[in-house]
Amino acid sequence: MPSRLRLGLVGAGPVVERYHMRAIRAVPEVLPAVVADLDENRARQFAQKQGFARYTTRLEDLFGTVDLAIVALPNGAHAPVSCELLASGVHVLCEKPMARNVPECRAMIEAAERGGTKLCIGHNRRFRTNVMLAKRLMEKGIVGEVTRIEAEEGSTSDWARSPVYFDPKQAGGGALIDVGIHSIDLIRCLAGEFRDVRYHGNGTATTVESDAELRFRLANGAEGTLVASRTRNLQQHICVTGTEGFIDIGLWSEHLRVRHNKGKAFQKLPHLDAFVSKRPPQDPSFVLQITNFVNAIQGTEKLVVDGYEGMANVDVVTRAYGDGATSTESQGVSGSAAMSSAATQNRGEQ
Amino acid sequence: MSMSSNSAGVSTSSRAEQNAAPIATAILRHAPDAGLDGILQKLRSASPSPLPVSLPPTVVIKPNLCDIVSWEAGVTTDPAWLAVLAEELRTIRSDVRILVVESDAISAYKSFRSCDETFDRLGYREIARAKGIELINLSNTESIEISLEGIPLPVLVSELFLEEFYFISIANLKVHGYEYMTGILKNSLGLLTGSDLTPMHPYLPRLISQLHRLCPPDLCIIDGRIGLEGHGPILGDPVVVNAVVFSNDALAADVAACKLMGIPPQEVPHLGETAKNLGRELPEVTLPADIQPHSFSFHTPDHRAILLKFANRRIHRSSEMFMNTWINRFLRFKSEPVKFATEAIPKLVRRLYAK
Repeated sequence: MPSRLRLGLVGAGPVVERYHMRAIRAVPEVLPAVVADLDENRARQFAQKQGFARYTTRLEDLFGTVDLAIVALPNGAHAPVSCELLASGVHVLCEKPMARNVPECRAMIEAAERGGTKLCIGHNRRFRTNVMLAKRLMEKGIVGEVTRIEAEEGSTSDWARSPVYFDPKQAGGGALIDVGIHSIDLIRCLAGEFRDVRYHGNGTATTVESDAELRFRLANGAEGTLVASRTRNLQQHICVTGTEGFIDIGLWSEHLRVRHNKGKAFQKLPHLDAFVSKRPPQDPSFVLQITNFVNAIQGTEKLVVDGYEGMANVDVVTRAYGDGATSTESQGVSGSAAMSSAATQNRGEQ
Repeated sequence: MSMSSNSAGVSTSSRAEQNAAPIATAILRHAPDAGLDGILQKLRSASPSPLPVSLPPTVVIKPNLCDIVSWEAGVTTDPAWLAVLAEELRTIRSDVRILVVESDAISAYKSFRSCDETFDRLGYREIARAKGIELINLSNTESIEISLEGIPLPVLVSELFLEEFYFISIANLKVHGYEYMTGILKNSLGLLTGSDLTPMHPYLPRLISQLHRLCPPDLCIIDGRIGLEGHGPILGDPVVVNAVVFSNDALAADVAACKLMGIPPQEVPHLGETAKNLGRELPEVTLPADIQPHSFSFHTPDHRAILLKFANRRIHRSSEMFMNTWINRFLRFKSEPVKFATEAIPKLVRRLYAK
């Protein structure tokens, strides 16, 4: 293995530019090597701007020339593209959601096993400072036994969205699979697995939901509600209440509010507000995510969010939607074809 | 608030706070030949006693270790307190876990003072080993950054404070350059895990009162066997007073210390701020007949000059924050004007309507 891992980017869209590129520069073990996008113009401009040695429009050009790849394509292309890369010996960090349904997820895991490669899913929120602190405090028993969870995330998005995001077949879903899956991942990470889910959304057969509400019960008996929206500005938080106190986690900030009923600090104070400094917010989660991925490839660390974790999140979503009612299986579609299809529809938006 | 006092210097009163135990304060004369055991024996016979009747599994003791200076100089807490308190606490709960906590700090000579070195050189390590006590350097524990109401800067506190414990604060009888006195309330500054508290000094009274809300002591001990006058709280001169204050209320303990030093409590900024913050008035404390107040001397710079310096810092910080806010707004507007306008205009409208 070379001393620096050669990185390939699959998809040169705004997510990569806004979030992944800053993180890539902060991990010196990674060498930006190739950027792949079916829009040649976009790939060339991206490579020039971000310092990539090469650009390409063909997925096959990555085989043997990169050690790891970040797949940031529309949801429908995650599985086929990742499967080809994984099976060809390229480690993959695939953006969330892992795929549109569980069979696609399973195919990705199997491809990683076949290729002897690592598959990491981009649930970066697990690496946020406040989430890591919340997890540590919960492990200490600060909230006691979890009894209730409230999660809310939603905004009137300013992102340029291609039509594939609104097509149930291509996207696999709307607000829940796109926005709500972050909260699903964090709830699983903090409080345990989902047992029962009851979903309500405004999606139709031809368009995905813009607003979703999920009522759920966890394996430990705790109940909760998750609201995800692409049309409303919500509170962007997860509040975990337990028998001994609560932890309220900011999803878009480093904010954390905590109470432990028996704790010394709460004799006179109702709660403590942590991470509230006026410093500019610096979200370390993407850097820590890539660092964990690189360390896992080098065998020094365990992957925090592997394929099984990603699949469990998708499983909650598909159970909520009702066994593939809004998603389709796309096994058998080649990675290049999926990239091509996504890019064709993307071009309309650019 | 009223407070009665009997001949042994034990006084009681009630607190305005809900569900709070009545205040019990004992100001006891120390007989040098009886040692600390003798003073605790007197305390046990006091009625009502500020000593606890039951304990949670953990007790945290915060001594005053503001610098590496021996206790006989009147600056730091005598480590012998650990031994007598450990025995006393174990008679109440045999399996109690006792932690002694302090933080790293910047010493009077503006050099870094490691808490671990302080534990070593002041004899805390040996006593802790002998008595099964754990010494904790809070600066080395897992900390969280929190906001305290009225303090514009975030503060770092140990995660220990999220847990349940009985808290004993031991302070010395000392004068202070611009807070006039330092006792139980000011001792809580050592609970902050950051070593350099200089940026906090303009906000000391508010910070101290908020730290009291964060971690109110259950038992306060002000060791006035040897006090400190002159250039307090570190570079002053020792004064033999031979009195020890015990209380289950920090405000009452500090007022008692003021009485012993001849300082009007209402002139101590953090006492007034804490009383206001708790919705109380400063308690009345009467010294017992066998203890005479001393008139501690001050060698302090002009108090007005200090206040002016702090006011200047506050203005500087406010103007800096004001400038940063507007620069930040300008940069956000420059990079994403549409997003900025769609977010900022409704906020501005809401604010105007609210006014």
